[in-house]
Amino acid sequence: MTGAQRGGLIASIVLAVIGGSAVSAGLGYGVTVEGGEIGPGFLPVLAGGLVAVFAVLDIVGRLRPRRALPSQAELILDTVDAPPAGVAGYLAEQNAADPGAVSTSTQTIHREAEGDEVDIFGRTQSQRNRMLGIVLGIVVLTLLAVQLVGFLIAFVLMLVVIAVFVERRSLVPSVVVALVAGGVTYAIFVALLRVPLPQGLLGLI
Amino acid sequence: MLDNLALGFSTAFTPENLLWCFIGVLLGTIIGLMPGLGSTTGVAILIPLTLTLEPVTALIMLAGIYYGAQYGGTITSVLISTPGEAASVVTTLDGYQMAKNGKAGSALAISAIGSFVAAIISLALLMWLAPPLADLALNFGPVENLAIMILGLIIVVSFAGGSLSRGLMMAAAGLLISTVGVATGFSDARFTFGSVNLLGGIPFVEVMIGLFAVGEVLHQIRLGADAPIRTRFRDMVISRRELKQSAGPILRGSGIGFVLGILPGAGSTLASFMAYGIEKRVSPRKALFGKGAIEGVAAPESANNAAANANFVPTLALGIPGGGTTAVLLGAFTVYGLQPGPRLFETQPTLIWGLLVSFFIGNVMLLVLNLPLAPVFAQMLRIPYGYLYPIILLTSFVGAYSVSNNMFSVVLVFVFGVVGWLMKELDLPMAPLVLGLVLGPLFEKALVQTSALGQGSFGIVLQSPISVTILLFAVALMVGPKIAARFAVRRRPAAVAAHDSTPSDRQHEDVS
Repeated sequence: MTGAQRGGLIASIVLAVIGGSAVSAGLGYGVTVEGGEIGPGFLPVLAGGLVAVFAVLDIVGRLRPRRALPSQAELILDTVDAPPAGVAGYLAEQNAADPGAVSTSTQTIHREAEGDEVDIFGRTQSQRNRMLGIVLGIVVLTLLAVQLVGFLIAFVLMLVVIAVFVERRSLVPSVVVALVAGGVTYAIFVALLRVPLPQGLLGLI
Repeated sequence: MLDNLALGFSTAFTPENLLWCFIGVLLGTIIGLMPGLGSTTGVAILIPLTLTLEPVTALIMLAGIYYGAQYGGTITSVLISTPGEAASVVTTLDGYQMAKNGKAGSALAISAIGSFVAAIISLALLMWLAPPLADLALNFGPVENLAIMILGLIIVVSFAGGSLSRGLMMAAAGLLISTVGVATGFSDARFTFGSVNLLGGIPFVEVMIGLFAVGEVLHQIRLGADAPIRTRFRDMVISRRELKQSAGPILRGSGIGFVLGILPGAGSTLASFMAYGIEKRVSPRKALFGKGAIEGVAAPESANNAAANANFVPTLALGIPGGGTTAVLLGAFTVYGLQPGPRLFETQPTLIWGLLVSFFIGNVMLLVLNLPLAPVFAQMLRIPYGYLYPIILLTSFVGAYSVSNNMFSVVLVFVFGVVGWLMKELDLPMAPLVLGLVLGPLFEKALVQTSALGQGSFGIVLQSPISVTILLFAVALMVGPKIAARFAVRRRPAAVAAHDSTPSDRQHEDVS
């Protein structure tokens, strides 16, 4: 079982629990009111129940191995010959996710970089996973820093820190980009739209 | 009809609306060509900026982003074989080959022209079809509305990618999220866990920005950076012969795109695949497909644009979005205090017709922008993602804050950003979740009214022939594709057997 499959299983289990809890909470809110018409608990029970049922179905489906059918996209395109890399990757991604469906979401199509494939900066998958963790941590710190230094300063700092320390860009252009972005944000949101951005304890801007 | 058009023109041709239309299509083109930034993300991030505008102006701009992105997505498909939008995936097949043959200019020109022709054709059809459909839908009571909403959810699920059960699970999750807070008609607060911030429910814009903007950024960080792009090409001159070769594919693509786009949920991606597949079958130059045939660019590019416009038929006339971006746009309607649905044609004629006429104007602007300027836009691709994504994060958070002037919104965006990233990693479709969230309150209202009409029983749903027809159609959509796929596999066993590993199988072997 790959990491993604394990993640999917865990997600379905979590959703099953959420759905189940929603059902029990919904029952507490009252499924019907006097006269037999539906009450405030009806939709929570219905939606939560559906979430739970489909999550359980998904768990069962994941634990049972099956052979993948070609996707609709492949059937339409008739791609028995391998198409160029971008499309092959896209189709494969679709197919790996699920047989028999074409995505209409706007997710961008990138090469799927699994294993120890290296990107243009020579970063491996595990390094990029670590980067993601670091960026998430920086965002949390930024949100906390808003209380102290204010919204704009916190986010301009975030821009510099991500560009310089995570993305390894040079300091000067990073600072320039961050200041310009902060300035444009100030112009649009504070000066033009009069949004009272939190100034934090420092109360500067 | 003519009155409506005149009303639309007088609305859309004000200097302010023209300006915002231009800003929308320009931003849309740029957003469309940035890998990692799609039209859904773009619209979601920019909703907060439009809150101070008139609803019609705001929607003109947001819609401009949507169809502008269809033009922009092509540029990257042709130049670097990386589609900026899912709907441009097929264009990489022949578009990139044309670019390699030194015909990038022709490829971009024909897709701009094809998109334009498709847009004009589909807009005319849209204006002709949507009002009578809305009229029809106006006679619908709560029973039929309930059926329509169930149909909409199922349609979006069946085309949104991912398995059917996971899509339905996400739609139900969206409905569940919509129940948070105090619902209209009931006095009780639900799922607020004692938080004052949750009394008003989980606001739509924050969820959108979180899922589509922050989630996408987090996803891209894990995927890693792509090589920076360097392109240079000479001219956008397209020969008369190429235009002649493309006329048929453009018209066929427009037709296919419109028909598929009008089905809520089918969306422009499917339309582009279909148009390419059909063109490959009927073309006299079959052998050239995949090697740089201009028809292979013209047909899918026309189809995805026609579908993008046709998507507005169900969105405006029934209040059922045709795809992810129209789902977000529909949410924008509610943000401006407009209830989406057939009544809009009666209550907001200025808005609807102004919006529709602005599509014409926007497409003319896009043609003028794209024919000479596509190479200039391509330079945007040189902005390193390392600078871009922190700015997207900043824009997302500041935008969310400006909606409510409350840090709670910012926290919500972050939470839904992580949720969106997990959904992407796990291939859980987002469009059904969004639709469930948007339709939730309307759905609950229809449920309450239906149960009141039936005195507590839903049997009355089966007494209305219209709702029964709609529900049967929904069931057919759910089951149909699976059956069709099975037939298609059975019909072509030889082809599959001859190449005992399709690209997907190979991928599976690589992964496992």
